[in-house]
Amino acid sequence: MPGQVVVTGLGIISPIGIGVSEFWKAALAGHSGVSTITSFDPFPMDGYRSKVAGQVRGFSPERYLDSVQAERVDRYAQFALVAAKEALADSGLHMAREDPRRVGVIVGAGMGGMVMGEREITQLYQHQRPHRVHPNFIPVITLNSASGIVAMAHGAKGPNYTVSTACSSSAHALGQAMQCIKEGRADVVITVGADASITPLVFAGFCSLRALSTKYNDQPERASRPFDRLRDGFVMGEGAGALVLESSVHAKKRRARIYAEVAGYAATSEAYHMVIPREDGEEIATTMRLAIADAGLTPANIDYINAHATSTTIGDAVETKALRQVFRTRADKLAINATKSLVGHTLGAAGAIGGIATVLAIHTGQIHPTANYEEPDPACALRGLSSSVQERKVKAALLNAFGFGSNNAAVVIKRYAA
Amino acid sequence: MSDRTITENIIKALADYLRRNPESIKPDHHLRDDLGLDSMAVIELLYKIEEAFDIQIPDEDLVRLSTVAAVCEYVEHRLAPAKRPVARSRTAKSRKKKK
Repeated sequence: MPGQVVVTGLGIISPIGIGVSEFWKAALAGHSGVSTITSFDPFPMDGYRSKVAGQVRGFSPERYLDSVQAERVDRYAQFALVAAKEALADSGLHMAREDPRRVGVIVGAGMGGMVMGEREITQLYQHQRPHRVHPNFIPVITLNSASGIVAMAHGAKGPNYTVSTACSSSAHALGQAMQCIKEGRADVVITVGADASITPLVFAGFCSLRALSTKYNDQPERASRPFDRLRDGFVMGEGAGALVLESSVHAKKRRARIYAEVAGYAATSEAYHMVIPREDGEEIATTMRLAIADAGLTPANIDYINAHATSTTIGDAVETKALRQVFRTRADKLAINATKSLVGHTLGAAGAIGGIATVLAIHTGQIHPTANYEEPDPACALRGLSSSVQERKVKAALLNAFGFGSNNAAVVIKRYAA
Repeated sequence: MSDRTITENIIKALADYLRRNPESIKPDHHLRDDLGLDSMAVIELLYKIEEAFDIQIPDEDLVRLSTVAAVCEYVEHRLAPAKRPVARSRTAKSRKKKK
């Protein structure tokens, strides 16, 4: 019997810090990692409606990875590699002592290897020299390059795949990893969310979707403001989060430190619209209810929500409606925060990064601030939102993530009790 | 381009998009309530209008483009900034700069 599924290691690359301790310190201080995009070399930012993003600064892959490994993958997979390495070290797991077939890797990625993808496409169309397309182009842009390279780096021969459901990718990866262990198919799953696609074409695409914030180009740190009345769209971010999930039996056998338990998961489709959520919030409410039931809990047991909250006008209001439907009067007693207020929307990495913030809230009793939450919006009025740290002994939390293609995910993470 | 031609062109663009007869589209039609355009469809329509009239429509202007007449008036303002008071001087400036 695998017992419960627990989190034993964390790793992160984010716009507010590389490494969990740097990230958490900045998160508790409510620092925004959003800044002005200086240039999409070779062309300037003038034509872009939005000019801000949560970019990872000071990331030099050679500092963490050997050069061959680093060169063969795109920026997002480099992030995944570094975050997974930190999470494994943090978990104290020694692969040499493990049965490699019992260690899996599940990655959530929304966009994949777009840095090289865009470069190669541009060069091919400009110079029309097909023989000069890089030999690594296909393996790099194939969406499972990160799950592949992470397994290779650690010799993990268990289940290995990538979940790609846009902005909810790594919340689904977390849920899939939990199920994989519960079903007894692996003892350990290195679960990663990663995306790094603040690239000229992808960024232009999000601008054309009219999804990004454009009002705060002169004050980038104020641009990502989930639930605030003056929000005007999301801010693109990049990064990776990694969580080592394992069966409680396995974790106890090796006397691992246990941060929290991943207890429930739900995956649904609204079957409604490619990019617009159903405005009544019912589908999101259903997803949350299913995840809570999957954990064997009721809404009365939940005391903290790590919201999807991207800072779009509609999205945040719909999530608020859904929270009211599920929690009713208790909705105002929940602590709620939005990790995207700090790092922007890291797309495929968002679920994992939000998951890390949730695990740390349970582990430390501190809920990071929602940056820029200054003026409550009547459409998103929830008392548990704060621009300051909230001290709360969290017993059970809900992580929300919704993605283009009309899909929703919710994951229940709770305090571990043997 | 006269205001009438602008209106005709916009109604034609809408008719093409919705695959319906241009005569069935009236200026007071609400894009969402009468013509059934969701927010993504409005964005797709404005994308076509930007191309047709060589303008860029900032995100903050989208909220007032709710009826056919509002879209037509907006495009007219944008194409003739000197003739009429323009609601947003910044957009007029950026257009001048472009030229």
